[in-house]
Amino acid sequence: MNSERDDIEAQDRRDLVRRGSFLKGMAASFAALSGGGCVFRPPEGKVVPLMEQPAGVFPGETLWYATTCGACTASCGALVKVRDGRPIKLEGNPEHPLSRGGLCARGQASVLDLYDSHRLRFPLLDGKEASWAALDAFVSERLNGVAVLSETIVSPTLRFAVERFLKKFPGSRLVEYDSLSASAILDAHARTHGVRTLPAYHLGKARVIVSFDADFLGSWISPVEFTKDWSPNRQPEREWDTMSWHAQFESRLSVTGANADLRVPLRPSEQYETLRQIGLAVASLVFWKGPKPPAGEPSSLNAAAVSDTAGQLARAAGRSLVLSGSPDAATQCLVNWINAMLGNYGETLVLDPAGLQKRGSETEFDRLLGDLEKGAVKGVVVLSGNPVYDHPKGAELAKFLDSAKLSLSLSGRPDETAVRCRAVAPDHHPLESWSDAEAVSGVLSLSQPAIAPLYSTRAAIESLSLWAGEPMSALDALRGRWKKSVLPGADFERRWHEALRKGVVLSDVKNPKNLRFDGRVLERLSPNPLRSAEGGFELSAYASPVLGDGRQANNPWLQETPDPISKTAWGNYASFSPEDAAKLGIVEGRVVRLSAGAASIELPAQIQKGHARGVVSAALGYGRTHAGPVAANFPVQKMLPVEREELSGADLFPLTAYSSVRVESTGRMSAPAKTQTYDEMSDPITGRRRPMVQETTLQDYFKDATSGRGKAMEVGPSLWPAHDYPGPKWAMAIDLNVCTGCSSCVVACGLENNVPVVGKAEVRKSRDMHWMRIDRYYNENGETAFQPMLCQHCDNAPCETVCPVLATLHSSEGMNMQVYNRCVGTRYCANNCPYKVRRFNWFDYAHEDLTQNLALNPDITVRTRGVMEKCSFCVQRVQSAKADARAENRAVTDGEVRPACAQSCPADAIVFGDLNDPKSAVAKKLGDPRSYAVLSELGVGPSVFYMTKVRNKKV
Amino acid sequence: MKLGLLILVFASGPLRAEEDGGDFQRYAAMFQQKCAKCHTVGLGDRVGPDLKGVSKRRERKWILDFIRKPGDFLDSDKTAMELLKKFNKVRMDELNLNEADAAGLLDYIDAASEGPVGPQDLELPEPDPYARLSMPDEHRGILIGFAATAAGLLALAAVLFQFGFVRIAAIAAILSLASGYWANGGRRDHRVFSRQQGYAPEQPLAFSHAKHAGTLQIACLYCHYAAERSDAAGVPPLKVCMNCHKDVKRPKEDPNGVGEREIKKIVDAWERRADPAEKGIQWVRVHDLPDYAFFSHRVHVGNNVKCQECHGPVQTMERMRQAAPLTMGWCVECHRRPPSEAPAHWKRAGATLDCAVCHR
Repeated sequence: MNSERDDIEAQDRRDLVRRGSFLKGMAASFAALSGGGCVFRPPEGKVVPLMEQPAGVFPGETLWYATTCGACTASCGALVKVRDGRPIKLEGNPEHPLSRGGLCARGQASVLDLYDSHRLRFPLLDGKEASWAALDAFVSERLNGVAVLSETIVSPTLRFAVERFLKKFPGSRLVEYDSLSASAILDAHARTHGVRTLPAYHLGKARVIVSFDADFLGSWISPVEFTKDWSPNRQPEREWDTMSWHAQFESRLSVTGANADLRVPLRPSEQYETLRQIGLAVASLVFWKGPKPPAGEPSSLNAAAVSDTAGQLARAAGRSLVLSGSPDAATQCLVNWINAMLGNYGETLVLDPAGLQKRGSETEFDRLLGDLEKGAVKGVVVLSGNPVYDHPKGAELAKFLDSAKLSLSLSGRPDETAVRCRAVAPDHHPLESWSDAEAVSGVLSLSQPAIAPLYSTRAAIESLSLWAGEPMSALDALRGRWKKSVLPGADFERRWHEALRKGVVLSDVKNPKNLRFDGRVLERLSPNPLRSAEGGFELSAYASPVLGDGRQANNPWLQETPDPISKTAWGNYASFSPEDAAKLGIVEGRVVRLSAGAASIELPAQIQKGHARGVVSAALGYGRTHAGPVAANFPVQKMLPVEREELSGADLFPLTAYSSVRVESTGRMSAPAKTQTYDEMSDPITGRRRPMVQETTLQDYFKDATSGRGKAMEVGPSLWPAHDYPGPKWAMAIDLNVCTGCSSCVVACGLENNVPVVGKAEVRKSRDMHWMRIDRYYNENGETAFQPMLCQHCDNAPCETVCPVLATLHSSEGMNMQVYNRCVGTRYCANNCPYKVRRFNWFDYAHEDLTQNLALNPDITVRTRGVMEKCSFCVQRVQSAKADARAENRAVTDGEVRPACAQSCPADAIVFGDLNDPKSAVAKKLGDPRSYAVLSELGVGPSVFYMTKVRNKKV
Repeated sequence: MKLGLLILVFASGPLRAEEDGGDFQRYAAMFQQKCAKCHTVGLGDRVGPDLKGVSKRRERKWILDFIRKPGDFLDSDKTAMELLKKFNKVRMDELNLNEADAAGLLDYIDAASEGPVGPQDLELPEPDPYARLSMPDEHRGILIGFAATAAGLLALAAVLFQFGFVRIAAIAAILSLASGYWANGGRRDHRVFSRQQGYAPEQPLAFSHAKHAGTLQIACLYCHYAAERSDAAGVPPLKVCMNCHKDVKRPKEDPNGVGEREIKKIVDAWERRADPAEKGIQWVRVHDLPDYAFFSHRVHVGNNVKCQECHGPVQTMERMRQAAPLTMGWCVECHRRPPSEAPAHWKRAGATLDCAVCHR
């Protein structure tokens, strides 16, 4: 810690020097200004109208288009907000049957990827800029016998184009892979049900969910859809037991585990045996007569947890669900076995219509590498994905890319794969292209361009059809395909426009197959032998809910959003259980070396409560070498007096080929950039519980609806006169029971409100600027709770009384307003805020990347150095809703105003509305006995209140 | 000639107004706000057809249904589709009228169809009501005061420096610089002395509001059509100019050829529109609020605040000029006005004084 403080002090001294020179410069410029005469006027601004305004478009008016989020293969429905021809925000499309209006952090942030100035601006041949004609000539003569390598293609139209392309060139084939592979689930279903497919999961129907390392609320397959399914069942009702029960067996503490009712730390190697034991217990409860699987490696598991879980599962047969994130097909077969015994197939998971988000096959990838070795495949066309980086065998593939007759990438970025390819034909960003997506059979969503391509890029569909000798535009290909197979019959134009407006079409799946579980495979199962390195820690490499597989690593928003569990931003780290850390003699921030085979990486250590012993876990997606300056952690702004830091993340993918690694401590330290440095719910000194998060168990809640509520201290009479709110009184209710901590709101808030990114060094000094943060606490039992914390818009706000210049004031609608142009930066308000939600602009977080500035919200001021800022309850949305209502001669309806955080929340944890309207959803929430205000004993009268967290403890 | 045909009529005279009472005035105003952008009564076709005698041409019920829900007709009704084709496929806006308003508007159109046709004086506010506010002399005095302070302090600094009081000299110098800075109007965003008032820069095109809004009485919202639905009023795209100027190549009276020369600029730019090198008309921005202040045109237009109340007598301006100071004090003056003192045509008075209405 000392060394860190020294660092900071040294930094401050350097800052001071720079400030000195800044003053000199300023004096000089003033002098020049004074000499310049007294006719100074603001610079001339220009207004340049369009030649012709497109129909229905008005300058300054916001338009929303339905499209599909392109950030991952989950393909959630999205609405793009377009202002003056620029897409500036993505929000969930409420009409989409899977994502239902939610959108994750990565999806929200993907609009910034569009304006990334490090995208490819033109085609490349041998690393040099080339014309499209030259590229097409080069490619067309080398296409025989190539393999098209792609991450799972979710677009039926693109798949059709690929198939036509393959037909044209005999000997060519398609290989799909997934960076976050679900190959084992597909392989297991091939063995147990005879069809290699991913099931469509219906978590909403499940009363009991048992998950093994499947982080379904964070990053597993389709987290937004699963959160939407999961959260309604987490609302406790007093009259009857409606709350679902969720157990998580996992190696590290994930977002999903943090929200589970029963959480058991479990090493990945113990998963097979645990599942077998649960399976056997279930088998005896449901009188399963079929074959039984052989025993695996013994495990140190908790027999009580096993019998408890099996009992819960059997009681909810047909309404339960077992999930696993294991990459081992044998383990996945056990999962299928348990689900089949319980009769869950056809209920909580369905094989036809199936999930299509993941179709990749590890065996196919290996076969491709073999064929490249033999020379049977002459070239590789990397259609999408970045396999050199995000596949464990990427390095082997890269070798062939260097030497193959044709290596071609269609990536829109100069990523690790593209730079190894001889030719690059950059694809559009999803917000620039026509496309479609079928994430679950029968749910077809459309993507439409929200902006003309920024650079000289070309849609993959167009490139493929051109090379196949049948050139057509992406729109024609899409319409042709939809006319034939999605919207057949008369009246196509009208239905097409309707589909475009809605963004999604449901088509019936014809003759769903009734697939039966075949138990014979169970007897032949053998769990994947561990490929271990001696000195062994088992490795759990995971995708964080914030950065995923790292394809958006150059996105400053995602880099600065802290991991929901560790609260560390900018870079990954190796997590250990406290016991292992003590054994290894490492402290937080100590750099450790993880190695296996030829692969070796160095990461700072993180000591994590609830982590399984004997396991080291680290996030994928970091350590990218060709993502851009943000991923390499260059200072975010040149002007900031911030030292350039070394790249702190490391690439885990090569290590994922091994299931166990060697761990050595190095002598170095690297302090993590944490946004929260206190973890415990209890006071570290007095040991008394601090009542910020109030929680109870379901049993206690049945007895007393107000249970778990900390005893509020007597609030004395107020010195302040009461406020009169003649109009609305805006307020917010946050349900701690369903908040999963996924951080989608944090990113949504930042994008909506032009919140600056400050970079790693500044986050380390706790100068992060997030208006909304999610606090994560551990209670005495080691259980986790999340608490979104934002400006509480107090009635008697402590900040308002200390501001010497009246820059923060109370509005007539109960909001606490911050007036940037009045603020002189005394920071009294921040010091007097009991919730610590005010943020100070220590620097001009200058927006130097002009392309990126296109994503700024024009409805919000871009703040300058020296002013305080904080959550405004999205006052711009309130204003615009009021103006809409007035134009239509009506009152603002309940639910019409949704702040960015509430809108984005996949769990619908945040409700916003008018407290003066007794029928509003937020007023009903306030009437709920679970509602409480944080630090209510201070008498500040917050407008944000929380709902007690209820844990469903069955034992 | 054709120019004459463009002249608009919004109401047909005070005599009629007395006959029909308040409704006539009300629907005359509504016609001006909602219809006059595209239609005339008796002055020929514009973006949409001339509505003179429309209820003799079509059934009354058809018209009422059509103007209430044009979208339902334009894709299916035969007559409507023919009209749509005839008028360059420009779809009629959804006006969101209720039944009574639709009937009232049609009554007004019927009445106006019978009335005399000719230029009609708009009810204009008194010329330049903000003249009294433009750059008051006492403000100039403050500026001069600052300049004098700056000079004095600089001299003082020099003297102190001579005598070796370096630190105090430095402070005096800095204060001097600061005074000089303020004397020059401060930072761009600090319009403490409302120096933008009266700003009337030369424009790339000698467009005359006096001619178009004054003599020809084209409604403000015809060109600045975004003002009623967007925060921004918008400068019209060239296509809007060309609606008329595709036919009008020279003004009726154009003694020194200025009109013809200026119109040619528009026509030339329009004809070269496909050329990426053609940058269009680069208007110089006159009304420019600081970046931390947000103003919504649609809210004010929707409240029946007349354009001239903030922009001054635009219909008399040859070259656009910022008439009002556009300072916060000036804004708040209206926001504070109680209903009893507010102009009768405003729908609401006593607007909110919450900071966040403009600063967010």
